[in-house]
Amino acid sequence: MSAVAQSTAFDIYATFQQFLKDDEISPPLAAILSLAEAIVKSNAGTMFELVQALNDGAEELKRRSQNPISLNAGCELFIAFVTLFPHEADNFAELKEELEQQGRKYATEAISFRDKIAELALGFIKDDAVILTHSYSRVVLKALLHAHKTKRISVYVTESRPRGLGLKTHDALTAAGIPCTLVLDSAVAYVMDRVDFVLVGSEAVVESGGLINYVGSNQMAIIAKAANKPFYALAESYKFHRLFPLSQYDLPTHNPNILSFPTPTGRSAGHSDAPSFATLDATTKGPVRSETSWSSAERAMSQEQIAKNPGVDYTRPDLISLVFSDVGILTPEGVSQYLVGMFAG
Amino acid sequence: MAPAPLLEVHPPNGPSNGEAPADQQKSQKQMTKQERRELQERQRAAKAAKTATGANGKPQGGKPANQPAAGGGAPSRKTADAASKLPSTGPAKTIEKAKAGQSSAADQLAKNQARGLLIFSHFGLPKPVSSAKGDIHPVIARTALQFSSFKITGANARCIATLTAFKTVIQDYVTPPNNTLSRHLMTYLSPQISHLVAARPMSVTMGNAIRQVKLDISGSDIDLPEQDAKDALCRKIDTYIRERIIIADQVIQETAGNKIKDDDVILTYARSSVVEKVLLEAHASGRKFSVIVVDSRPMLEGKRLLAMLSEAGIACTYVLLPALGSVIGEVSTVLVGAHSIHTNGAVYSRAGTALVAMMAKRHSVPVVVCCETYKFSETIQLDSFTKNELAPLGDLFSSFPNNKPRESLTLENKPNLEILNPLYDLTPPTCITAVVTEVGVIPPNSISSIPVALGRLL
Repeated sequence: MSAVAQSTAFDIYATFQQFLKDDEISPPLAAILSLAEAIVKSNAGTMFELVQALNDGAEELKRRSQNPISLNAGCELFIAFVTLFPHEADNFAELKEELEQQGRKYATEAISFRDKIAELALGFIKDDAVILTHSYSRVVLKALLHAHKTKRISVYVTESRPRGLGLKTHDALTAAGIPCTLVLDSAVAYVMDRVDFVLVGSEAVVESGGLINYVGSNQMAIIAKAANKPFYALAESYKFHRLFPLSQYDLPTHNPNILSFPTPTGRSAGHSDAPSFATLDATTKGPVRSETSWSSAERAMSQEQIAKNPGVDYTRPDLISLVFSDVGILTPEGVSQYLVGMFAG
Repeated sequence: MAPAPLLEVHPPNGPSNGEAPADQQKSQKQMTKQERRELQERQRAAKAAKTATGANGKPQGGKPANQPAAGGGAPSRKTADAASKLPSTGPAKTIEKAKAGQSSAADQLAKNQARGLLIFSHFGLPKPVSSAKGDIHPVIARTALQFSSFKITGANARCIATLTAFKTVIQDYVTPPNNTLSRHLMTYLSPQISHLVAARPMSVTMGNAIRQVKLDISGSDIDLPEQDAKDALCRKIDTYIRERIIIADQVIQETAGNKIKDDDVILTYARSSVVEKVLLEAHASGRKFSVIVVDSRPMLEGKRLLAMLSEAGIACTYVLLPALGSVIGEVSTVLVGAHSIHTNGAVYSRAGTALVAMMAKRHSVPVVVCCETYKFSETIQLDSFTKNELAPLGDLFSSFPNNKPRESLTLENKPNLEILNPLYDLTPPTCITAVVTEVGVIPPNSISSIPVALGRLL
């Protein structure tokens, strides 16, 4: 990809992609590492210029990524760190070096956060526990594998359409020898009574104490609350975000296309239900059968229809029991206290 | 909870405890502290009863009404929180009267006249500002009058008026010989402050500001020449106003403004100076939204807000509080201001705000409270009646429609009618979605982290 209007040929997004190739590194960490590199590569002469350059880099990453929220959390954390860093270095170049090193050090340390969290979660997992989890999360996987070493657990994983990430989790768990069953997204309520508690990862934990995670987490939290099962969220501290969504539709990922109704076209010749499917056949490569007969064959949504659906949702803080993070086990209110303490001033 | 002010014959400790008067006969040791106190009051009142009987004229707003009204405070003490202070002990004769009224018909009439408000009377009815006791500076007297006649209303406005008055007082102040400014000025200011409080109970904002002023005074350098010290104090007051109110409002304008999107329907209640600024700023930055202003009597403050917003070109709808249920379905966000906010996250604001917040919560509409950090009070308040203020009776809020004669709508006490007008109520933290302050957007359960955030800034 060619560089976009940056002074050097440094393309932050390409660097970001590079870092993401390592499976252990999640988007926020990759963002921090890319920004750290951006520091060194930039030719800013003053702190102000540097922060400007970093902000521009962060904007670029957000723009080009499909899922900007967790990325944003990492970027903001790093930029805040850079701004507050005590300036001991004699010249600016040295300072930049130091900042870059700190960035890398943080990223390496951050990988170990997951182990800390897994250890904290261990105390809440009893022997013979039945756990429900959603989609794919590295930190949840680590926690489950860690628990498996000393306890017997069984896990239900949701399929998590449309990306089907739940299958990834299922494969990883089965490979480790943990009894694991895939569950339809729509069967969460059905299975909830069998489950001891729910464990999910997170894209971001927000200032209200709520959780942003793959779509389906909110549903799971509401059902868990109704069934009186604890709902635990695992989140590394770099995922704590100062965002404060007032509702689902207040998320930065929400755009007018999501859940919009199609503009009505005239009823052309054909089945009264069929027109929408008939036109889609021609335009998309979606797995829609060409015969619109309602046979027992499975059907799936087209890409266009999937695009009208959200990728993440927001879970309110009153539905979450505890948030496990490397800074400790926090209640949703505690998350806000931590964030205010960290970022205020 | 005590029932609404009915004029049925109740023994004063009837509503909540239901103890028969016969129980009062048990020995002092067996009585609870309350009962012992009651007994004491009664005995004291019996002595004072003869002289006081003459004073029980028709209850009107003013001193005579104070006594029966405050006398109702004793029975309501049982229902009120233990935290509230004991009401004045003088008119405890009405307890005795109430008890005697059961037996003697002659007292019945006097009792009816003496019956005051059964609830909320523990914070006393507003009295007209009496003539200044002691050396009250004219600007303080004027400010007090503006407060008591409700010409200046709103937590921010009152605080700014108080501080501005103090600046004048400080500049006019001359240290008496053999005294230092830092010590004497405080004693000089105390009667001024009491005069203001007598006009209208102190708001949390005034309280916090005055505490800061006192801190600055006591910290002022003894060696400074007097004029320099006074100038320094005035500068500090200016800084306080600028930083904690004006600039804080600007930050809140921006933060809360970001929560307003195109095509939103914003609902607001009565008139909050901060919310007004937020809406005007959001409109000025080009967002297209409409506003529903909900208002209520007797103050009808929403009309001023309506005038400001429509003048700026914002599409507004104006409804009274009872119509809230019909409009809430179309609302995207509720934006309200606050008089003060407590450690447990409860918001103390104009009476009616709690209704709006609860209704919004029921319909899953987010409730956003805009509140500067200097409104933060370290106390915890659990309900609306441990601390409140009653609006004075009479033709204060000239907000009547023109087609009705003024007299028909003026509120006034009559022999069988008591007017009850609390000015504030408490919104529980569960109904609030977010509190926007100048240190950030905070969920209501974490309001106690504001001092931490402030500690960082200072």
